[in-house]
Amino acid sequence: MSLVFTGIQKSYRDPSGKSFNVLGPMDLRVDTGEFLCLLGPTGCGKTTLLRILSGLEEPDSGNISLSSGRLGYVFQQGALFPWMTVEANVMFPLKATGVLESECRTRAAEILDLVGLHEFRKSFPHELSGGMQQRTALARGLVTEPDLLLLDEPFASLDTRTGINLQEMLRSICNRSSATVIFVTHNIEEAVFLADRIVVMGHRPGRIVRDELLDIKWPRNRLSSSFTEVLLSFRQTFEELVDPSVTLSS
Amino acid sequence: MSGAIVKKGNTIMLSGRFTVGDLKEITSVLEAGSGKRMIIDLSHCDSIDTCVAARIWSTVEGSREAGLPMELQGLNPDTQAIFARFKTIDEKPLKPIPKPTLLYNFEDIGDKVLATWDTVYGLAQFTVNSFKALFSGKFRGSITAYYMEQSGVMAIPIVVTLNWLMGVVLGYQAGYQMSQFGGELFMPALLAYSICWEIAPMMTAVLVAGRSGSAFAAEIGTMKVRQELDALEVMGFNLFGYIVTPKMIALFLVMPLLITAANFAGMAGGLAAGGIFLKMPAVVYIAEVKKALIPFDLYWGIVKGLFYSTIISVTGSYMGMRVRGGPASVGRATTSAVVVSIFLVILVDALLSLLFIHIRPGLTL
Repeated sequence: MSLVFTGIQKSYRDPSGKSFNVLGPMDLRVDTGEFLCLLGPTGCGKTTLLRILSGLEEPDSGNISLSSGRLGYVFQQGALFPWMTVEANVMFPLKATGVLESECRTRAAEILDLVGLHEFRKSFPHELSGGMQQRTALARGLVTEPDLLLLDEPFASLDTRTGINLQEMLRSICNRSSATVIFVTHNIEEAVFLADRIVVMGHRPGRIVRDELLDIKWPRNRLSSSFTEVLLSFRQTFEELVDPSVTLSS
Repeated sequence: MSGAIVKKGNTIMLSGRFTVGDLKEITSVLEAGSGKRMIIDLSHCDSIDTCVAARIWSTVEGSREAGLPMELQGLNPDTQAIFARFKTIDEKPLKPIPKPTLLYNFEDIGDKVLATWDTVYGLAQFTVNSFKALFSGKFRGSITAYYMEQSGVMAIPIVVTLNWLMGVVLGYQAGYQMSQFGGELFMPALLAYSICWEIAPMMTAVLVAGRSGSAFAAEIGTMKVRQELDALEVMGFNLFGYIVTPKMIALFLVMPLLITAANFAGMAGGLAAGGIFLKMPAVVYIAEVKKALIPFDLYWGIVKGLFYSTIISVTGSYMGMRVRGGPASVGRATTSAVVVSIFLVILVDALLSLLFIHIRPGLTL
């Protein structure tokens, strides 16, 4: 699913009634099957942009054009339904679209196998570790075989090792599907590891400061020189954003 | 220490490198110089760290405020850059605190009026949307049954007990006053009227608002904070149909039953009070109640119940949906849900009472 948005703008009112612009106006085009990482410091409007794309929020102005298709959304804290088992959580979006119970069960089983949670399918979310909960959330986002998958810092609250494992798993699943993926993160290494293309956003208001296709070969090795080079270059962009007076020696 | 401090006349000269470890010594020299017009000479100073710079800067600033400004001399580009940072921080103007002028007071009142209007308008809109979803949505039996159990079955003991107690108190107090004039026989009628027309529906509504209205707000507010509502919305669910309607239907079904139970519990309380305090035989009490009440009085409780269940379920859900930010706002939403529900219940009760005296058969003004 390709996605084009033009002139997207969003502002909020603070408690004193003053309006401040959090996003844009910004334009972006995402091609079908592209894995795009939106990278930016906290508060730069990445999540707002994702919420606008998913229809959870209305932009003040601007146009979004996206071909019709299924949507998957993975939230930062998982947002699993605590009263449902892992399996029921994963089956839930399918049921909502009217898929038969037996087919829901088969597809949930497949996707739970893929994320390695088959034996925990009868557990409740609170019985699982943070990493397992995020894997369930990922499974719930993927189970409808979405054409557009939106992920809002899904691995931000996990420890580094678990995060890396899940990044590898996510990328390998996405390689097998044709979904367009937009992954929001503030973790530079995560973005460089996952993305086909990185868009760096600056804040106040949220805007695009760098947009680049990565040409690091797959499988990506975090210790390779090409990886480190790209990582450093994005780190520099990032540091300059946070503090314009900082310059790094190359 | 890789630097040296020399004090000559009114000049303090720092030479070499200074770090946080030298802070104690620098402080003592600076303090010794306070109260005099001193010059701090850094021309031989190669580097200082932020802690030392901060110490010097605060001394210089302090002396300026005291009217005896110290002077910083001989800054090289590196030390200059460090002090320049403090300068930009110091120069940032503090946000002035608005003085409470007359205009400010009017603005404050205006803000509060607007905020209240926002709530009223939002609640009205929410009620319309809830009814739309109620008539157009799918009936979700199992969730409705769950809320019927939570808000209805589990509320029976408290509703019955409290209404029975109200019946006892009212029966005793009314009977005592009436017995002064030999009118004990009117007590059952008075009690039956006040219980069925007013006390039982109101007490039940207040109890259900406290038990279930708050629970609805807390539940929905928590779902909002945990982004579960967003997840439902992204999956294409109508939030009103999934979240609000089952609660509304559940209360529609259980509230009239609870009020009916409360009616009988209240009158049973009166029976006990009559028997114990007024030595009134049960047969007499029941006969008097039967003579006074007509079926309309019991149906009236059911009608009130439908109004109250709308108020409690919609207000609870609305306050939950309005939660923004973190868990603290869930607490506020819960409080608002109870306060606003009880306020609206009493308001609607007053309006219904005006209507009641015109439509009840046999009641003449």
